[in-house]
Amino acid sequence: MGLAAPSDLMLDVSRWQFAFTIAFHMTFPAITVGLSVFLAATYAMFMRTHKPIYLQIFRFWKKIFAVGFALGVVAGTVITFEFGLNWGPFAAATGPILGPIIGMEVVTAFFLEAGFVGVMLYGDGRVKERTMLICCSLVALGTILSTTWILSANSWMQTPAGYRFEDGQFVPENWWQVIFNPSFAWRFPHMLLAVLIAAALLIAGVAAYYLVRGRAREFARRTFSVALGVLALLLPIQLFVGDNIALQYIVPHQLPKLEALEGNWDSTNTGYQLLVIPDQDGQQNLWELSVPWFGSAIGAKDLSGNTPVPGLAMTPPEDQPNMTASFYGFRAMFYGSMLIFIVAFGSVVLRLRRRLYRATWFHKLVMWLTPVGVIAIIGGWVTAEAGRQPWVVYGQMRTEDGVSQLSEGAVIGSFVGFLLIYLTLFAVWLWYVIRQVKRGPEDVSVDEIDPDPDPVRGSVAEPSTPVTP
Amino acid sequence: MIADIWFGLIAFSLMMYVVLDGYDLGIGIASLFERNRERRTEKVEIVATAWDGNESWIILMAVALWGGLPEAFGALLPAIYLPIIVMLFGIILRGAAIELSVSLRSDAWITVFGIGSLIVAIAQGFAIGGVLQGISHDDGVFNGGTWDFLSWYSVLTAVATVAVYVVAGAAFGQLKSEGESARAARRLGLSTLLVGIPIVAVTAIWSMDLLPQQLTGGRVVLFWALVVVAVIATAATIWGFRSGPDAAAMVGVVVAEISGMLALVVGMVPIVVPPDMTISEAAAPHSALTFLLVGIGLNVPLVLFYNWYAHHVFRGKYRPVEERPAGVTQAGWAMRAGGERASDEQEVRS
Ligand code: HDD
Ligand code: HEM
Ligand code: HEM
Repeated sequence: MGLAAPSDLMLDVSRWQFAFTIAFHMTFPAITVGLSVFLAATYAMFMRTHKPIYLQIFRFWKKIFAVGFALGVVAGTVITFEFGLNWGPFAAATGPILGPIIGMEVVTAFFLEAGFVGVMLYGDGRVKERTMLICCSLVALGTILSTTWILSANSWMQTPAGYRFEDGQFVPENWWQVIFNPSFAWRFPHMLLAVLIAAALLIAGVAAYYLVRGRAREFARRTFSVALGVLALLLPIQLFVGDNIALQYIVPHQLPKLEALEGNWDSTNTGYQLLVIPDQDGQQNLWELSVPWFGSAIGAKDLSGNTPVPGLAMTPPEDQPNMTASFYGFRAMFYGSMLIFIVAFGSVVLRLRRRLYRATWFHKLVMWLTPVGVIAIIGGWVTAEAGRQPWVVYGQMRTEDGVSQLSEGAVIGSFVGFLLIYLTLFAVWLWYVIRQVKRGPEDVSVDEIDPDPDPVRGSVAEPSTPVTP
Repeated sequence: MIADIWFGLIAFSLMMYVVLDGYDLGIGIASLFERNRERRTEKVEIVATAWDGNESWIILMAVALWGGLPEAFGALLPAIYLPIIVMLFGIILRGAAIELSVSLRSDAWITVFGIGSLIVAIAQGFAIGGVLQGISHDDGVFNGGTWDFLSWYSVLTAVATVAVYVVAGAAFGQLKSEGESARAARRLGLSTLLVGIPIVAVTAIWSMDLLPQQLTGGRVVLFWALVVVAVIATAATIWGFRSGPDAAAMVGVVVAEISGMLALVVGMVPIVVPPDMTISEAAAPHSALTFLLVGIGLNVPLVLFYNWYAHHVFRGKYRPVEERPAGVTQAGWAMRAGGERASDEQEVRS
């Protein structure tokens, strides 16, 4: 291949900028969605028991949540504008479909989170406990609604439905089919589970650090136990859902994606590719490491091991996604989920043997695996997005037709700006989280907790029904 | 018709944005002129409880434009690529700085918050100027140059925007504080008005020349009526800063902002993208607009309630901080309306 023509460069930079900025955004929802649910639950526990430990947990994680949430918000704002800035023709064509869906996200989710997060973060000592709990719960609800709508929008781009194409625009015909498009049913639960898993792993990892160091024992044990319990519950479901994504949606709707993420060119391999070095131009692998039989068994669901996995050469080169990105995105997620599986499974075994708080090797393992959930999420998105190329609306609109005609200088300049700002902020954020963890949770003094939470009625526990003598 | 109603909602979002985020950007800019550490912290915390909700209006505006008038969205944004990108840089820095400065009790991040706010205001001013002077497009696809937005006119709109936001920030600061903080806010408001009024006036006169609609017939009457309201509101603002009750300046600024923007709308409709793209040319198909109007329209009252609630919980003035207990933020410790102390109602006592 020769030098890229000017507009190719512009297209490539626009794509890199989009991928980079959305991956940065994704990092924060990956933990804030789960954390908001965790915080609401912790506060509810505090209200029920009035034990200082729950307030301690709440305050500690609230601080980490606050900064991550702010970064998620501003990075999300960037993406909304980028649709028009860098992908003007795409925005003009898909506006009638994606605009309303994301608009619903704005009014039902973003405003909800934004309205109540202030009380959640700054309302301590000012509002009633019940108000605080309601605000925390509404923020959590908002993040989940946000996940729902955005997955609907993205799934429509993966499996468009319920529209007709007219005068260069996608015209919605049946909103039900648009919103509940074919891939949404599996991708939404997969994403929701993914963010809960990633947050649980983060909470467990921090607790593991304290267990290893022998600090903040009460705090560490409680959060370790809860987080690992959630992991053990959710991970098996996630493995089932993930498998169904491949079977129910990728195979019937996006076969080239499957070919790319399995890492084969010709359709003869019955083994499972562990690692490959693809050569897209030569349409072959320069090197590969493959486990015999396994590909047929999990890829093609033939336990006899005789069905080969389809290869990317079945798809004409101009319609092929990039194999390296799809393959390694998927492997990051898949290998990541295997590691998380070990943690979840190990925790069940240790719990049954009553060694959960004593097995130091396990604490160290969990500590080192803290970021794996987030990495798996980014990997999953790279698979989903890179694997659907060259289409921006699958089968209908090519990415190259969606790009705005900007000058190369402008796009390169903005990309460099995003790189500088985001990498700096990411470093600051990591430093901040590590600093908070090292400082440890602050003590909550007992007299800070009002033994008499209802000054009007003046009693802690009031029977709900009057007891007749 | 339905597209016109939708255009009304887009304009409404823009006004809500300018009114709400305008004051918190203004407070950010004002923090750059404040040396006293406590008062700088107070400024960030005034903003910290509400900035997210305020800023959500610009997201709603962008998405409402995207969904309802997709051609306009697709043509406008590439034309003002640089100002919008720079605005986003500012938004990022500022949002990160707000939470980091509160959490770390760090003065350096307050400076980042101030600079970020200034960047956002300047960039928005350039964007507005760049749009009003008209963009070059070929059937809805932008075909001009990267620097088209830059002109003497857009320089002027940038300065005017900063001035308006600072006045709004000062008015809100006066409303939320007492003692030296409030006096400083009044001084800042007055001195900004002194330079701001001539600049905004020149910008307004120049804009009349650029507006895509001839001011004739009913438009003239409406336009000048709005201008008169804006002038009166500005006078009220001056009075509010000099000697009026604490809320007067804020009311004056809000009325002036809204009537100014309505005057612009009068000079534009039905054009949405100057010089020539109309609402009906840019409009999405009927099925999309109906969904938008029902789904999003019905949610707007709720959204307004969330905004109101976020401000209502933290109502009252910020007090000097001596007796504030550890762990409670300034916002949490602010006085309730009516003068009673927050601690009277609080439950988690210290
Ligand atoms: C609502 C839509 C939407 C959602 C939820 C996502 N994306 Fe996406 N993505 C797009 C809409 C989109 C797009 C507008 O359609 C892009 C821009 C250009 C393109 O090729 O598709 C795209 C491209 C794109 C690319 C570049 C692919 C390539 O050019 O080869 C990557 C790596 C990602 N995205 C990654 C992500 C990540 C990490 C996400 C997690 C939040 C994500 N996407 C969510
Ligand atoms: C292209 C895709 C996306 C767009 C356009 C987008 C847009 C946005 C915007 C504009 C915000 C800021 C809202 C505010 O002011 O509160 C935001 C925040 C958020 N987004 Fe996204 N987003 C995208 C992908 C995702 C995905 C895939 C998820 C799913 C998990 C998600 C979940 C959230 C959440 C939970 C928030 C709240 C703030 C936070 O914690 O980060 N977003 N997003
Ligand atoms: C064995 C287990 C798993 C399998 C077989 C699996 C399968 C898949 C497949 C095939 C995709 C591509 C979907 C598309 O193209 O749109 C995907 C996407 C994704 N996966 Fe997984 N997955 C598994 C576990 C996990 C885990 C544990 C996480 C995170 C903690 C995760 C996070 C994601 C994310 C964030 C996406 C992108 C969102 C989406 O497309 O819905 N996955 N997964």
